[in-house]
Amino acid sequence: MTAVAAPPRSTNTALGWVKTRLFPNATSGIVTVLLFPLIVYLAYRVFLFVVVNGRWEVVRRNLTLFMQGTFPRDQQWRILVQILFLAFAAGVGTATASAAAADRAREAGIPVDRQRPIEILRRFWPVVLLVLILLYFANTVNPWLFVLGALAVSLLGTTARFLPTRLRHLGWLLVALSIIAGFQVVSGTTGRSWLAAAVVVSIGIWLSVRLERLAPLPRLAFKTALVALAAAVVFGIYTFVTVPGVGWDRWSGLHLTLWVSALAIILSFPLGLLLALARRSTLPALRVLATGYIELIRGVPLITLLFMGQFILGFMLPAGATLSSISRAIAAMTLFTAAYVAEIVRGGLQALPYGQTEAAQAVGLSPGKTMRLIILPQALRAVIPAMVGQFISIFKDSSLLFILAINEFLGVRSLVHAQTDFRGIAHAETLVFVALVYWAFAYSMSRESQRLERRLRVGL
Amino acid sequence: MTSETRGNAFTDATQARGEAFIELTDVDKFFGDFQALKDINMKVGKQEVVVVIGPSGSGKSTLIRCINRLEKHDRGTIIVDGIELSDDIRNIQEVRRETGMVFQQFNLFPHLTVLENVTLAPREVRHMPKREAENLAMETLERVQIPEQARKYPGQLSGGQQQRVAIARALAMRPKVMLFDEPTSALDPEMIKEVLDVMVELAQGGMTMIVVTHEMGFARAVANRVVFMSDGQIVEVGTPEHFFTDPREDRTKLFLSQIL
Amino acid sequence: MRVLRVVGQIVAIVVVFLLLRWLFGNLVDNSRRVGLSLDFGFLNRPTQFQIPNHAEFDPRSPVYRMVLVGIKNTLLASVFGIALAGVLGLIIGISRLSQNWLTSRLASAYVEFFRNIPPLVIIVFFAFAVFLHGPLPNLREGIEVGFPGTSHNLFIFSLEQWGVPSVADAGNLAYFAIAMLVGLVVAALVWRWRTRIHDQTGAPHHRVVWTFGVLVALLAVAYVLLGEPFRITWPTLSENRRRLIDGFAINAGFISVAGALGLYTASHVAEIVRGSILAVSRGQSEAANALALTSFQTYRFVILPQALRIALPPLINQSLNLVKNTSLAAAVAYAEITNLTQASIGNGRPAVPSIVILMAVYLFFSLIISLILNVVNRRLQLVAR
Repeated sequence: MTAVAAPPRSTNTALGWVKTRLFPNATSGIVTVLLFPLIVYLAYRVFLFVVVNGRWEVVRRNLTLFMQGTFPRDQQWRILVQILFLAFAAGVGTATASAAAADRAREAGIPVDRQRPIEILRRFWPVVLLVLILLYFANTVNPWLFVLGALAVSLLGTTARFLPTRLRHLGWLLVALSIIAGFQVVSGTTGRSWLAAAVVVSIGIWLSVRLERLAPLPRLAFKTALVALAAAVVFGIYTFVTVPGVGWDRWSGLHLTLWVSALAIILSFPLGLLLALARRSTLPALRVLATGYIELIRGVPLITLLFMGQFILGFMLPAGATLSSISRAIAAMTLFTAAYVAEIVRGGLQALPYGQTEAAQAVGLSPGKTMRLIILPQALRAVIPAMVGQFISIFKDSSLLFILAINEFLGVRSLVHAQTDFRGIAHAETLVFVALVYWAFAYSMSRESQRLERRLRVGL
Repeated sequence: MTSETRGNAFTDATQARGEAFIELTDVDKFFGDFQALKDINMKVGKQEVVVVIGPSGSGKSTLIRCINRLEKHDRGTIIVDGIELSDDIRNIQEVRRETGMVFQQFNLFPHLTVLENVTLAPREVRHMPKREAENLAMETLERVQIPEQARKYPGQLSGGQQQRVAIARALAMRPKVMLFDEPTSALDPEMIKEVLDVMVELAQGGMTMIVVTHEMGFARAVANRVVFMSDGQIVEVGTPEHFFTDPREDRTKLFLSQIL
Repeated sequence: MRVLRVVGQIVAIVVVFLLLRWLFGNLVDNSRRVGLSLDFGFLNRPTQFQIPNHAEFDPRSPVYRMVLVGIKNTLLASVFGIALAGVLGLIIGISRLSQNWLTSRLASAYVEFFRNIPPLVIIVFFAFAVFLHGPLPNLREGIEVGFPGTSHNLFIFSLEQWGVPSVADAGNLAYFAIAMLVGLVVAALVWRWRTRIHDQTGAPHHRVVWTFGVLVALLAVAYVLLGEPFRITWPTLSENRRRLIDGFAINAGFISVAGALGLYTASHVAEIVRGSILAVSRGQSEAANALALTSFQTYRFVILPQALRIALPPLINQSLNLVKNTSLAAAVAYAEITNLTQASIGNGRPAVPSIVILMAVYLFFSLIISLILNVVNRRLQLVAR
């Protein structure tokens, strides 16, 4: 036998690369020759716009306006504290997620691939770039210090990694609670805001208290009592300790955009889940109602529902009840998104092979338990990427509030260009800035969802 | 085989009978850094039936896919019917016109009827009138014994029927050589025979064939030579009798003990 | 169990019914209290405002006429947007699969950029950064791009309108239209004739060349025989440079909406095109190659017919999305149905029936497109056991 020869290396040299990737054949070569000057010219124009001609003063001077809109300036500390809470939640979340993946990998006996921090930077480079651009526009050193502080808090959150495996879900509870805390630091804790915390705490307790030694019925009773008690405690705390705040009716800018999209997707999820189950139900009445709702909503553009919210919803409430314009918009977006969420969940349910149901029945599970223990966990895991996609979609769609004269991120521009210095000029600059911010968020999320999809496919 | 010839059956059988129709000389093939074919030398004569066996990943499929240039070899020469395969697309097309190929997964065109599947290449490549192509197609479909399925779509046929259509599709180009890439591996057991019967008939009709398969019964019945490959190399070549009675190499023995 | 199921359904229906009745009851009560009407009588009353860029529209004409104008403009923007998105998306989708690194990276960059920004931002960019406050002059100083070698204008660019060449009747246009119909029929016959030749002899048919050649030749003969039945009108500014005479005027609002939605949707179309070509298994092209089909023939007879089956349903969905997205024109000056409805409510027309009509219009479009989708799905289904 001859000695093992080395593979041909023609594609690994620079010249080989140019030949195979730019001039593989005559037609392709011509395309390269034609495209190259065009790209150079475009790059030149972009360079001119970004570095030479762009009147970026308009962004620099209105950065706060873009970020938080007309939010009262003396209350700005609330938003800063909120960012710290969210940074903490992000730290805890990533740590818990990667630790959970590591747990699963260890249990399955496959090597654990721990993400290096640099990997996170590479994955979220658009957002990192965005933060750097924002810092570039900042006038003082304070934002730099603040970003460093937020990073530190986030690192503090990653210590959640050291929670024992048994308490892993406490990490998720902590994430939810810090997000709620962040929200309520700004919105205040008046009205029904205790509900959010109570729901999260209840779910957390329900999932973490096992009580496997009790019989089913007493266990159910005991857990219910425990949850009720916890809810009561949360209510008590909220009653005695109230934090004043600035309601979302007075939010605007990027801050509003992010929360409106988050609220719409969170609130629409339970409704969408119910709709999906109803549409898959064997009861014709439920099926018809759910199908009718879903198809009706999906047949009309979001803006018509927003109009309905603005012009009609107020009239549909009992006399005297009022809702702010932003609340009505959130309601409309939630009703809209629920129909799409329902279709996503239905897709996840349908994609599950029927063998799963049969296998569950074969081991003697009741229909309810089959759904709860076998079908839903798998289906909901499978739809996570599509749900991220829907979140991107609603994030982009939140720009429609601009048409209702609500000053979300795109609408803030009208305030900027109402200033005498920027009346009728520099529209391209503000719009490019706005587009870049939307892009950075949406692109990062879509890459993450693709990554999730790949991971789900291999079952991690 | 007499006992006299058996002694040097191995050396005899490495050579093709008569003139070489396909000739591979020092062929290497890489996928990235992985070497799929190492220094392959092989000749196949006219009307010869060569069966290639070997464990999965041994390069059998790559070998026959190089012969009609579905894979491009990196070194060495491949000559088919006097035409050397090179980057020149005309040479490649000329070789492909003379070479029929049957795939493991059938690869029938699901949007065309059986008849359209079979007539497509004669009409578009050989510029045959429609009527003539259809007559030819019906002839080949009769040879594989499913003329009655001509108007159906591939999706309506069983696996065995689909594979026979695939054979008819290749035959309709009147190829001088047929390449079979594990033609029965994707079939249910009860359908293997109907495909093998067609192949045996083809071999007996004098078709030059290279067949990658694990069907040793087929090899015993019609193969002139059997080639055993492992790790991208040709390990042993010989008559079917040689393989079934006294294989020489240890790797060959191990493999045969696993599949027989 | 049976009883439980029936009772459960009845409860569900009753709850939904009560909820709707409660909401509707409140609506009626509140409307009566503030004196808003809920009926559709306003459709026959005057519109009372001028639709921008529609000088021929009389503000005294009834509201339903305004609705029709809106529907027409919605359709116009949709058709042009879909055409732009289709052509651009096809080119970009195929480019993404190109071996050429430059082409595929440029196409990827386009897709990743436009897919991830809100379509409304693109529309607003056109309307504000390109037109209203952009680099273009107003019509009086409109940029006139001459047709080389003549004194005619090929284009006129301004921030309100763009002028492009058009055709005008020079006496016999109607006859020329008839000649065109005849030409099309003859061309169809030529197509069939070439196909038959191909079937009978196997010779290459060259159908496209033959058919278009015959059509162009016929039209040229008709043009000469009818003695210049039409003439091309070049875009020209009026004496006082206040408006465009001759040529065809395209409004800025239309370009903003159709152009922006075309660019946005093209990124989605490109992904569909790429995905459906990739979805045709490698085995298919290998089998075609093994049969000695050329790469063009492989595409024409094997890949494209199958890719088209995969791509068509999502493409139809994207068309529906584009139609719905034309409602974003409410943010700029383009008089499609949502924009007009908003203006009309602002002018004191009753909101509830106006929005009901608006939703009904979109539901109607959705229904039509869903029907098309169903038919297409049924016909494209690959036959299987």
